[in-house]
Amino acid sequence: MIRRLSALYRNLFRKERLDRDLEEELRSYFELVAGHGDPAHLEPIKESVRDIRTGASMDILLQDLRYAFRTLARNPSFSVIAVLTLALGIGANTTMFTVVNGVLLKPLPYPEPDHLLTLWEKQLSGDALGTVAPANFFDWHEQTRSFAKMAALDPYPDFILNGYGEPQRLAGAAVSGDFFSLLGIHMALGRDFLSKEDRPGQGRVAVLSYATWQRQFGGGDIIGKQLDLNNTGYTVVGVLPRDFTFVSKSADFQARNQFDVWTPLALPSPPEPWQRGTHPLRVFARLKTGVGISQAQADLDRVASNLARWYPKADKGQGIAAVSLKQHVVANVRTALFALLTAVGLVLLIACANIGNLLLSRAAARQQEMSLRAALGASGKRLARQLCTESMVLSMLGGLLGLLFACVAVPVLVRHLPADLPRTSEIVVDKGALAFTSFVSLLTGILFGLVPLLQAQRVTASASLKESGRGVVAGQSYLRGALIVGQVAIALILLVGAGLMMKSFRTLLQVSPGFQTEHVLTARLSLPPLYLNGYKFGTGQHRRISAFQRALLERVRNLSGVQSAAFAAYLPLSGADNSWSFEIEGRPPRPPGVSDIMNYRPVSADYFKVMGIPIERGRAFQTTDNEDAPLVVMVNESMARAFWPQQNPIGQRVRFSESKWRMIAGIAGDVHHETLATKPVPEMYVPYAQVPNVEARPTIVVRTSAESAAVIGALRKAISETDPNVPVDHLETMQQIVSASVSQSRFRTAVLFVFALLALFLAAIGLYGVMNYLVGQRMREFGIRMAIGASSGAVLRLVLGNAAKLVAMGIGIGLVAAAFLTRLIASLLYGVTSSDAATLTSVSLFLAAVALLASYIPAHRAAKADPSQCLRYE
Amino acid sequence: MSSEQSELLQGTLDLLILKALALEPLHGMGIARRISQVTGGTFEVKAGSLFPALHRMEEAGWLISNWGESETNRRAKFYRLTKPGRGQLQTETKRWERISLAMASALRAT
Repeated sequence: MIRRLSALYRNLFRKERLDRDLEEELRSYFELVAGHGDPAHLEPIKESVRDIRTGASMDILLQDLRYAFRTLARNPSFSVIAVLTLALGIGANTTMFTVVNGVLLKPLPYPEPDHLLTLWEKQLSGDALGTVAPANFFDWHEQTRSFAKMAALDPYPDFILNGYGEPQRLAGAAVSGDFFSLLGIHMALGRDFLSKEDRPGQGRVAVLSYATWQRQFGGGDIIGKQLDLNNTGYTVVGVLPRDFTFVSKSADFQARNQFDVWTPLALPSPPEPWQRGTHPLRVFARLKTGVGISQAQADLDRVASNLARWYPKADKGQGIAAVSLKQHVVANVRTALFALLTAVGLVLLIACANIGNLLLSRAAARQQEMSLRAALGASGKRLARQLCTESMVLSMLGGLLGLLFACVAVPVLVRHLPADLPRTSEIVVDKGALAFTSFVSLLTGILFGLVPLLQAQRVTASASLKESGRGVVAGQSYLRGALIVGQVAIALILLVGAGLMMKSFRTLLQVSPGFQTEHVLTARLSLPPLYLNGYKFGTGQHRRISAFQRALLERVRNLSGVQSAAFAAYLPLSGADNSWSFEIEGRPPRPPGVSDIMNYRPVSADYFKVMGIPIERGRAFQTTDNEDAPLVVMVNESMARAFWPQQNPIGQRVRFSESKWRMIAGIAGDVHHETLATKPVPEMYVPYAQVPNVEARPTIVVRTSAESAAVIGALRKAISETDPNVPVDHLETMQQIVSASVSQSRFRTAVLFVFALLALFLAAIGLYGVMNYLVGQRMREFGIRMAIGASSGAVLRLVLGNAAKLVAMGIGIGLVAAAFLTRLIASLLYGVTSSDAATLTSVSLFLAAVALLASYIPAHRAAKADPSQCLRYE
Repeated sequence: MSSEQSELLQGTLDLLILKALALEPLHGMGIARRISQVTGGTFEVKAGSLFPALHRMEEAGWLISNWGESETNRRAKFYRLTKPGRGQLQTETKRWERISLAMASALRAT
């Protein structure tokens, strides 16, 4: 080994001495044989000795590299264009891959992430997954055998922090004792909850997120301190690690994937009977080692059928579904991100084809050099190796620059990602991205390096056959044509994808949300516990909330620029949601396990006026629909159609899981509540003063006469004048809320649009380059044609016709490929099918127009051919 | 080149060189001559095969070389076996004997 290394050292660094030595040895040999040293014999032998030396291939590589750099430096404009094109392509790919890697590919940032599951309640008759009743969680935990740990999270608690400046709303989560240990999280400071703290009446302890600790408490000494949360003392026992982000699907967690304060869930054991009817919990489980997900599912099915027998009223027809945590987190974005990654990969392919074309032109120019080297004894393999080295140097330089590009682009992109994309904090340029870039650079180097290799074969052949350049050019033009057809086809695929997305997005934006989005300002308030009369179920308990609302509305209505104002518990398109089961008076009770469900929306009197929601029949709520008035509700059109198809619902009575009946007073127009793309579902409005539960986070909606933003300051002032202890968050205009609700769609449309434009641009450049080259080659022919009477118009048509043939072939192939590929993004489209004829036609025409424009310049040049000049060249 | 001259089998040349050097150090010409003598002219080693082999075996550590005087008082590079070289000679010899025995019996079989 040491001998080898020293030989390597000698061979690489003492080469001249070794060569002199060898020369002398061989000379003396031939003098002994023939009496004279004929140098003509020496060279091949010297060469073959050099080839067996240790590190000979490395030596050749260094030679080739040096040569490659020299060649590239001699032709800087070519090199710069090639490297920049590659850097752009590879950089865009690395950036997109980094996003996909962070969101989809990387394992979740917990130990043994494959063992983590989410568990859901599921009606056996349907597919929808539901959150879990505390009593069910208790039973699952007791009766299953497949799980090492099971924990639950309640994402609803909200805390108002007092004593640290302005009262501050903190997003809270209540978790059962095993939650952090199930995920495998160790506190940065302090400790996890103790199991004795996870009991009713004991849980006056809290864990803070790292960010909250830094922001609210300056990162100071905090463990053991008492915090005033909702006017109750909590002792801080721990701080979560900085990099702990609880990955979640935002829609589930009401767009708050960062929790500030964590407290014990403290469920009673055994649970109260009513805890079988409310379903707030997200349940997580860690599989026992060696247990698979299907085995766990069988275990859960057994438990579910037991529960259905024991609690038919609540659990009949109910199953339990296990979904891997990762799948649950990224389910919504998988298709879109992979589509974008494919798109950017296609852009890189077009870039490769362009560089392949450039190399072809260069190869033609270097034909003499290659023939000369072949004649001097360079083997075909050696020449191929040289060409490969050059391609690799190009692609590696491109890759390096591309990586720099990605390092800059990724943080920018992350800032502009839709807020509801999960795991964005895990998007960083890391080892995975580096590996990907190296791989892509290598692959692109091979891809476009192949082109001149094919060429090199022809060159050596032609050199040996003593052919003129003509045959080469013919072969080349075939290869070039194929490259152009490929580029056009790929560009078409991307354009079709982008076109469909754009049409879909436009259709989405044209959906009328069912209310007037302009000039509405909204602000969410968090009422301190002093407003709540405990959490007792039933109306008439929360007069303080009504009093606060009346007082605030009074002030706000008197502000200049305000037309009207009202309260709502859940705004449309905000991600917040609540649904209840109900029954209709006079109809037979539904069988166990089946219930009618509607979205439940507490609103105050002027809500419909502020939002511009039409009243179809009957009346809207009035200020007189208060705690002491007869109970009323309003239904939306969908609900009226679904439950009273033949009747007038007004005057009918419904009730929730309580004894009091509520009369339907009016029918309101449908509103897109969940997303613009989903159809409105049955909804029921309840006067805020008559809600049966506690809605302690009212959102005030204000219709302004002019620009909403102008009222923000006055609104804030009015709130703090009404009660300085009420924190405000989510101060947004309704337009912002609508816009945020389509941010994913907007993001993927915009990104795909940019990729498609890039593809179009590159393909047009490629076409221009090729046509220009071909016209240059055929100038003499055009000259002859014109000399024997062809008009310049005929030559123009000839060249354009050639280009058109290539483009038409490319479009044809592209359309077929697009028909298959766009089917994969069908789930991302709204209001447009993946085979939308209008899009396909207009995109094809657009591409054809751009392509013909790109080839018009060379065609024009051909038409200007001067016969006398062209013929003089020969 | 005589038509009867056998192509040097891969590995055979190494063994012949090792064998030639087993008695005394030789220069390149001497090695070629010695091989020709001991094989009765069956193997004529050409410079194009000899020198790459010598340099390869030297890098492998079986031979070492130094400059000396040839019989005609010219400067020439002499090669001699090292200890690993002698070991290699033994293994190669054994291997070759096994192969030739096996070949012989294979050819005798009907």
